[in-house]
Amino acid sequence: MLKKILYIMPLLIGSGVANATDYEGMAPEEILQTLIDKTGSSYLGQSPQNLQMMPDNPAYWLVDEGEALFSEPRGPKQVSLEECDFGKGPGVLEGAYAELPRYFADVGKVMDLEARLVHCMTTLQGFDKQDAPVKTRHGSSSDFMKLQTYIAAQSNGIAWNPPMDHPMEKAMRDAGEVMFYRRSGPMDFSCQTCHGDTGKRIRASVLPNVNEPEEWTKAISWPSERAGQLNVRSSQHRLRGCLWQMRHPQIVGGSDASIALISYWTDAARGQPAILPDLKR
Amino acid sequence: MLNTSIKKTIVATTSLLCLLAGVNVAQAEGKPDIVGMSPQQLAEHLIFNSGSFKLDQAVQEGGVTRQRLEQDELQTACSVVGGGKADTNTAVKVMNMARDSIKLPEGGIKLGDWKIGRELAWSGFGFRVGHNNDDHSTAANGPGGNCYNCHQLATDRTGGNIGPALTGYGKARGSSEAILKYTYEVIYNPHAYFPCTHMPRIGANGILTNEQISHIMAYLFDPESPVNK
Repeated sequence: MLKKILYIMPLLIGSGVANATDYEGMAPEEILQTLIDKTGSSYLGQSPQNLQMMPDNPAYWLVDEGEALFSEPRGPKQVSLEECDFGKGPGVLEGAYAELPRYFADVGKVMDLEARLVHCMTTLQGFDKQDAPVKTRHGSSSDFMKLQTYIAAQSNGIAWNPPMDHPMEKAMRDAGEVMFYRRSGPMDFSCQTCHGDTGKRIRASVLPNVNEPEEWTKAISWPSERAGQLNVRSSQHRLRGCLWQMRHPQIVGGSDASIALISYWTDAARGQPAILPDLKR
Repeated sequence: MLNTSIKKTIVATTSLLCLLAGVNVAQAEGKPDIVGMSPQQLAEHLIFNSGSFKLDQAVQEGGVTRQRLEQDELQTACSVVGGGKADTNTAVKVMNMARDSIKLPEGGIKLGDWKIGRELAWSGFGFRVGHNNDDHSTAANGPGGNCYNCHQLATDRTGGNIGPALTGYGKARGSSEAILKYTYEVIYNPHAYFPCTHMPRIGANGILTNEQISHIMAYLFDPESPVNK
């Protein structure tokens, strides 16, 4: 009996240490390296070059510029975004992105980071939706990507934890799940075609598996610099790109269907540390 | 008076449709009852009625993007939430549907030009819509088959591994009438053999023509093709 306990002691200690891994305070590349060491995932480890470049991630320029934009009085109302509530109180950004999408009582809707940012820029700051700072959503030079990258980076190392307390949050997550597995179009593709198994590749690119949270956290860690595109990209941009590759119609940025899908995919990474900003191929 | 009666009819019809769809009528007239719908109902609502997708864009096969989100019977049967396998009854139904869809080329299965087949197997852009549209109407050999995205074929190019490796396909199998027919059918509609497979219905869905399939078949079977070297 005692012998048995002695045998499993190292296991108990080992798993205790693993569970207690404190990702908060780690740099994005340290988080990724820890996950690679832990899982041996071919998706996570597919680009040693990208891992090497992460300390000098061009996305850090956007974090800095986004920080300045965030606190600067802007728009027709000349106010900063410090009064914007991303779910944890006005101006509270630490860990806020890791808990999006969530239900916002002031609009009676579930919103992701992009939709919430549009909401605050149009209501608080008084921008029109057609004004460039709101309308131009993509590209490293856009105010919108700078703000998103700054806000998201305040959740680096924090475990994804989108709330499911409000019935709308659960409903959107569940509908997003249905959409994830819903096949259609000339190629019969669903999201699951590419993201339901481990170690699968499209040509040379290893694909992340939605069923492996430690792998999936990197897949959903946006904004991320895309080395192949020389731009920092958002969750919405990734979603649009996937649907384009699937030959599905274009999704509208910030639309309810996009938020439902992002609710599901964030829930699938629950408990794993966000890697922000990330650098992808 | 006439207007009123038409309006009444429209309201009655709409209400009936909403009832049939299981949507609360009062909610359907105002804000949708997101919490009251099943996940499937909400997904359908979000896809078609929430302005979330650009549904009116023209597509290469004719018609508009909306039809690409409307599921046919096979797609519905093969969409399993959570990714589990379809049950046996569904699998049998899917195999039968697929079997019925297969049209063999008139005059028998012929092998075309493996060099054209090589390019078609590599090409993976056809039928994309949205922000960067494919126009394959002027492409010499058509839209391409996307084969390399998922299959390793010849070893001179890197293929994916969502599907099985097909390296040495013809060399290993010969080119009897039976294997030619089987291969043609798998390309045309793979669900006849592998119900709810990830592989697209290349023939049945009109991705490639018979002639294009004959070139890809040559790429698989021709002894001179790099696939068999």
